[in-house]
Amino acid sequence: METILSVNNISKRYGKIQAVNDLSLEVKKGQVFGILGPNGSGKTTTLSTILELIRANKGDFQWFGEEPSKESRKRIGSVIESPNFFPYLSPAINLKIVADIKDHDYGDIDRVLILTGLYERRNSRFKTFSFGMKQRLAVASALLGNPDVLILDEPTNGLDPQGIAHIRELILSIASQGTTIILASHLLDEVQKICSHVAVLDKGKKLFDGKVSEVLAISDSFELASHDLEGLKKVVAQHPAFQSITPSSDQILVYFKDEVKAEELNQFFFLKGIILSHLSERKRSLEQHFLELLDDNK
Amino acid sequence: MIKLLKIEAKKILTYKIFWILIGLYFIFLSAGISMAEFMINNMVDSTNRHLPIPIPHVAIYFFPWVWQNIAFFASIRYVLIFPAMVIIILITNEFTFKTIRQNVINGMSKAEFLASKLQLILLISLAITFLLSIGTLILGLSNTSDISFGLVLEKSSFIFGFFVTILSFQIFALFFGFLLRNTGLSIALFTLYVFIVEPILYYFLKSPIVFKNDISTYLPVNSILRITEYPAIPVLKQVMGLNLQDSVSFLACCIPLFYSALMVGIVYWVLLKRDL
Repeated sequence: METILSVNNISKRYGKIQAVNDLSLEVKKGQVFGILGPNGSGKTTTLSTILELIRANKGDFQWFGEEPSKESRKRIGSVIESPNFFPYLSPAINLKIVADIKDHDYGDIDRVLILTGLYERRNSRFKTFSFGMKQRLAVASALLGNPDVLILDEPTNGLDPQGIAHIRELILSIASQGTTIILASHLLDEVQKICSHVAVLDKGKKLFDGKVSEVLAISDSFELASHDLEGLKKVVAQHPAFQSITPSSDQILVYFKDEVKAEELNQFFFLKGIILSHLSERKRSLEQHFLELLDDNK
Repeated sequence: MIKLLKIEAKKILTYKIFWILIGLYFIFLSAGISMAEFMINNMVDSTNRHLPIPIPHVAIYFFPWVWQNIAFFASIRYVLIFPAMVIIILITNEFTFKTIRQNVINGMSKAEFLASKLQLILLISLAITFLLSIGTLILGLSNTSDISFGLVLEKSSFIFGFFVTILSFQIFALFFGFLLRNTGLSIALFTLYVFIVEPILYYFLKSPIVFKNDISTYLPVNSILRITEYPAIPVLKQVMGLNLQDSVSFLACCIPLFYSALMVGIVYWVLLKRDL
């Protein structure tokens, strides 16, 4: 598969703060690539670097297998942080400026305004827009001229639930047409719903990357208790799907690698001669899982 | 070139502050020019009270001297400050609205961004110079009795000098805008430098006690304003013993143009170095 973006060992330091630390990424054509991390993990710095807004202290990157240039940026549509437009100009004129820079004609402007639901407001000044509308205009500007790559930094930030759903649907439908998408988010749920691949960042370092289904795979856990707590601990380790155990004074929390059903588990212990006094399945929230992933790497 | 100017045109055509400041500029400019003769003669009148032989009233709007006089009155700090502020506002706006970031993200290089602002300055300077030439022609034609083609063009080099003045003054403003990036701060420091810091430096450097040779001509703003140093009023020569300039000197234009090139170079270097 064609490589769209390769980032090689980039580092960026702001004074004492190491914003990005020896980061490497590879994004292939057609992927919806999520960059996931808490606030301040280096997501925006990474995106700003690959868009040449800031210069990395170390490392380099290539777009479409070539050295980055203004020509490569013309093939990329981006929403970075806040929507940046001239407040006294209408969205139509603001988008004409974008089209001029990208060497497009103005034929696509109406389409992206309709797509983002701003067509009726195309002649009002940008400063009269609500934050959600401003954010949607940023998305419209990124979509202008059907770019080969779409870079979205927290695209649903500050939107109401309807707006979030709308933008997510839009992203998914664009992705289904084969456009490569790079999406930064601190919302695990967003990455899971939209992305095919993910890299998890914390404090500027990449913790791991891969397919979303693998990296964010969730193993269920069970709370178990028995009068014979010691016996329970020994037996549970013999379970074929056993992963790890977190004991406490009167019960244990067991993690399994694969999906395990409560009744199977009950039967398993019964056959091994352990009578359970407590059996409770615990579904971890995605956020909890994410925090645990970050915790493991401290 | 056309592409970048097309983008700049979109940024300013419906921008009210731009048109208000440009409008104020032309109001101040035409008011200054039309009041000049009256005010000079007022001064002459008050001087005459103390003189045994009165100085005759002056006329300044006739060919060929009208070129030099208009160029002089249009090169006064208080008038030039308007287009300079326009430039500062247009440049610092890009940083305030973060549209410079967005332009670069969308595929404009930093060099192109700087070029677009320089082209805008060039266009504004040409437009103002053109309008001023038309005004001067009308003023000259209606105040000169014996007109010949040669007479009309004789001192027209001053209008070229004015072009260098307005161009380099705006580039000086561009320098402040790009380096400071903040509208209020840029306007404050620019005004402070032009009206206070440099005049103080000027008197300091001019004094023969400090430097044997007068190096005050090399101060950036002074070098810009000195292109048309005095109005062409013969009485000044008689009364004050000033040496009136005959034409715009090439060397006098070179100093501000050299500063402009240097400042554009520094801005470009800083733009490349600094994160957006």
